[in-house]
Amino acid sequence: MKRRYSTRFFLEQAFKGLTRNGVMSVASIAVLMSCLIVLGIFSLLLLNINVNLDKIAELNEIMVYCEYELTEDQIVEVEEKIKSLDNVGKVKRITKAEALQTMIDESGEYADLYSDITPENNPLCDSFEIIYEDMDGTSVYNLESQLWEIEGVRKINTVYKIAKTIDSLKSGVMLVFIWFLVILFIVSIFVIINTIKLAVYSRKSEITVMRYVGATNGFITLPFLFEGVIIGGAASALAFACQSYIYIYIEKMAANEMQMITVLPYTEVWPLLVLGFLAIGILTGVIGSVASLNKYLKY
Amino acid sequence: MIDFRNVKKFYSNGTVALDGVDLHVDDGEFVFIVGHSGAGKSTMMKLLLREEAASSGTITVGDYELTNIKNKDIPYYRRNLGVVFQDFRLFPNKTVYENVAFAMQVVGTPRAMIKRRVPAILTTVNLAEKMKCFPRELSGGEQQRVALARALANNPKMIIADEPTGNIDPKMSIEIMNLLMKINKLGKTVIVVTHEKNLVDYYKQRVVMLKEGRIIEDRVGGMFQ
Ligand SMILES: Nc1ncnc2c1ncn2[C@@H]1O[C@H](COP(=O)(O)OP(=O)(O)OP(=O)(O)O)[C@@H](O)[C@H]1O
Ligand SMILES: [Mg+2]
Repeated sequence: MKRRYSTRFFLEQAFKGLTRNGVMSVASIAVLMSCLIVLGIFSLLLLNINVNLDKIAELNEIMVYCEYELTEDQIVEVEEKIKSLDNVGKVKRITKAEALQTMIDESGEYADLYSDITPENNPLCDSFEIIYEDMDGTSVYNLESQLWEIEGVRKINTVYKIAKTIDSLKSGVMLVFIWFLVILFIVSIFVIINTIKLAVYSRKSEITVMRYVGATNGFITLPFLFEGVIIGGAASALAFACQSYIYIYIEKMAANEMQMITVLPYTEVWPLLVLGFLAIGILTGVIGSVASLNKYLKY
Repeated sequence: MIDFRNVKKFYSNGTVALDGVDLHVDDGEFVFIVGHSGAGKSTMMKLLLREEAASSGTITVGDYELTNIKNKDIPYYRRNLGVVFQDFRLFPNKTVYENVAFAMQVVGTPRAMIKRRVPAILTTVNLAEKMKCFPRELSGGEQQRVALARALANNPKMIIADEPTGNIDPKMSIEIMNLLMKINKLGKTVIVVTHEKNLVDYYKQRVVMLKEGRIIEDRVGGMFQ
């Protein structure tokens, strides 16, 4: 005889279970949703902090000042040599005229002081702003010594300390956040386990009878598994809605009032949110239901 | 065919529930199991259902050797048995029909067959007209008949009833016993645990008496004392 189990049967059982423990189901959806939202907020915060830190870290630069008496050709030659080195990202030449202009611009009301400086008697020199890629100490040190070997280089100014500080700051922030996420995840699983435990408990006698008539463990588990998936799915959908609302609001606010802060556009983060929430939500639901059933699935 | 060979059962708290039981029951037999409270009757039923494992000795039921059956085979073994309990264990929020159908859904019976078979079984236990009732709308005797119908749903070879009349009044008890006899006449092995001396004497079947975990009497023709 052909044995056939219909998905409809299991879904029906799952929904019956959810509605029978209505209050608890709502409670666990709410708790999981809250966990997901907190999780989401922290992850997005982390992402954005990293983006902003990266922006600051772009100050990873070395200023190279040329000898005063170099000709234009010699300066171009220095630039070529710099560009040929490893670990050199962007190279920007700042002519002495530009340097002078910047100095004048930045001095504001004292600009008059420079009024008698002409291109001919400009006391500044040409320089290069080098953004390096690899931030670790030896790479930067190597780059510095290679730069010193270039003929026509008079002075080198490195600001790699900022980069290093930001780097360690980043990994510190990351560590704290990851721990936070782990703890939240564990809390959610416990909440789900308790909900499903209640659901299972209220159906203890049902499970006993199922076992007596020869139901396999898989058969007994499936409705609860579906229940876990439904709880997880509902919680992640709701969490996603809330999170999107909050994020779009913050994005707008940042655009208007805090322009120095970069906020990743919503269009870039929402797929991450959807995937993350669904994965964590459903995983938590499934782990919760399986863990809480275990005790009743002896033979 | 049921075969107990020197079966002992110790519970984890040290209780000796069965202390060397030898019993052979052929296919199609009707057997009463009697004995004082704590004699080990329910323990024997639990071993038969493989809800508990024997501590020593061997139990064979049909093709299954219960002492070394694999966990994954247990559900399939149980499909050969129908069980009835003193407290009915019906689903209160399912109708009579659904209660019986559920046992068939659990083992993956196709819908069409369930639709055909459930009314037929309910007719066997004289409950066809109560199909749409909920358990709370039925008397104890009727509820036990639903439980019996559920036990029969998957057409098992054997029915095990642990004090099936313990919770119902004497007149109804006779009805249940008559049904069990009828089921036996249809070719199924029936094992009934009971305390009711007059019923045991009335039906004049094989009686196995347990005392402190041992069989002290095994004879055909009733006589509780
Ligand atoms: N799960 C258990 N754990 C520990 N001891 C148990 C367990 N089940 C039964 N016992 C003990 O095993 C002995 C036999 O119990 P069993 O339930 O088989 O008796 P019984 O003959 O069915 O009695 P009754 O007529 O009262 O139902 C008793 O002493 C009982 O206390
Ligand atoms: Mg008992």
